Amino acid sequence: MKRFLVIFLMLALGFYLIQALHFVPFGANRMGAPADKKTVAAFYLNETVPQTAVANVVTAIVVNYRGFDTLGEVTVLFLATTGLASILYKRRDEEETERVSKPSSTILQTGAKVLFPLVVILGVYVFVHGHLTPGGGFQGGAIIATGFLLMLIAYQKYHLSHSMLTWVESLAGILFVSIGLWGLITGGTFLENSWFPKGTLNSLISGGAIPIIYIAVGFKVAAELTGVLDILLSTKDDKSASNIQQ
Amino acid sequence: MMPYLAYFGQFLILFGSVFLFLGALGIFRMPDFYNRLQAGTKASTLGVMSLILGVGFVEPEWLVKSIILVVFIGIASPLSSHALGRSAYKNNIKPFMKTKMDAYEEVSQILPEEEEKV
Repeated sequence: MKRFLVIFLMLALGFYLIQALHFVPFGANRMGAPADKKTVAAFYLNETVPQTAVANVVTAIVVNYRGFDTLGEVTVLFLATTGLASILYKRRDEEETERVSKPSSTILQTGAKVLFPLVVILGVYVFVHGHLTPGGGFQGGAIIATGFLLMLIAYQKYHLSHSMLTWVESLAGILFVSIGLWGLITGGTFLENSWFPKGTLNSLISGGAIPIIYIAVGFKVAAELTGVLDILLSTKDDKSASNIQQ
Repeated sequence: MMPYLAYFGQFLILFGSVFLFLGALGIFRMPDFYNRLQAGTKASTLGVMSLILGVGFVEPEWLVKSIILVVFIGIASPLSSHALGRSAYKNNIKPFMKTKMDAYEEVSQILPEEEEKV
């Protein structure tokens, strides 16, 4: 009976998908060809490289054309971190009384030591090359945070200094906003990019202020997500503690 | 010389795909958590490693990057499945009922408690 219900649901879903999509010819370019100057996609594909000298068009859109939106996203992440911290944060000296879980194995501890620098290097690579390859500040920051998560899982005594995280996060945010304000002073619009030398296309130093902004975003996201993980792992949930001990 | 290297790379990609398929089949068919874990880890580690190495041979510009990736996966994948299996064992997840022996239990009575070294 359940199986027939599943099949019926899949058929109904497929029917409505076909209803919605059968007008569109398969493989049709709905965004418009780059030769067609009237579409938005054509504008970005044609104008990004001359205007910003950034090889990755997505990065140019995210950081330059929609830079204000990216600032908003970073702010949303900051507010989420702050809210989580204000709900969950406890003083560390209060809750150092008892351990919930057993220490991890020697294999995991040694492997975490080997892998942690590699993961951090990968994250830095991703956000430094954000204007050349897929990825960018958010992705690189998340990768770095997973490296710290590995260390936090492997070593229970591993703790990060929250003042250092706050400093990194604040300095990165200040760098982002001050680049935007400097663009407002010199170029007339917030996050205006033209005051910075563009560099040559496809090299590491290219794209004006875009790599600097993405590096700042990478540091900020890494610090915020690491702070979230540290807070989540250092809070003691009474229910789960009693469950493990049983 | 070069086409043979590309043929070898394509053979490695095929080999890796076969092992990835076997890993997926093992996850689907094996009876309990531990068997699934070893099927998923062994087969797909070998599969992913040879697939990435094969891509490196087909595109020789990426060979150095793909070797770095292979080394990384060779460290990370067994490590993660070790952590998963150990935590499952410590949390008393029962093996398949036909399992006859439990070597870890015998060993863990002899071994000292693991300490944390920072």
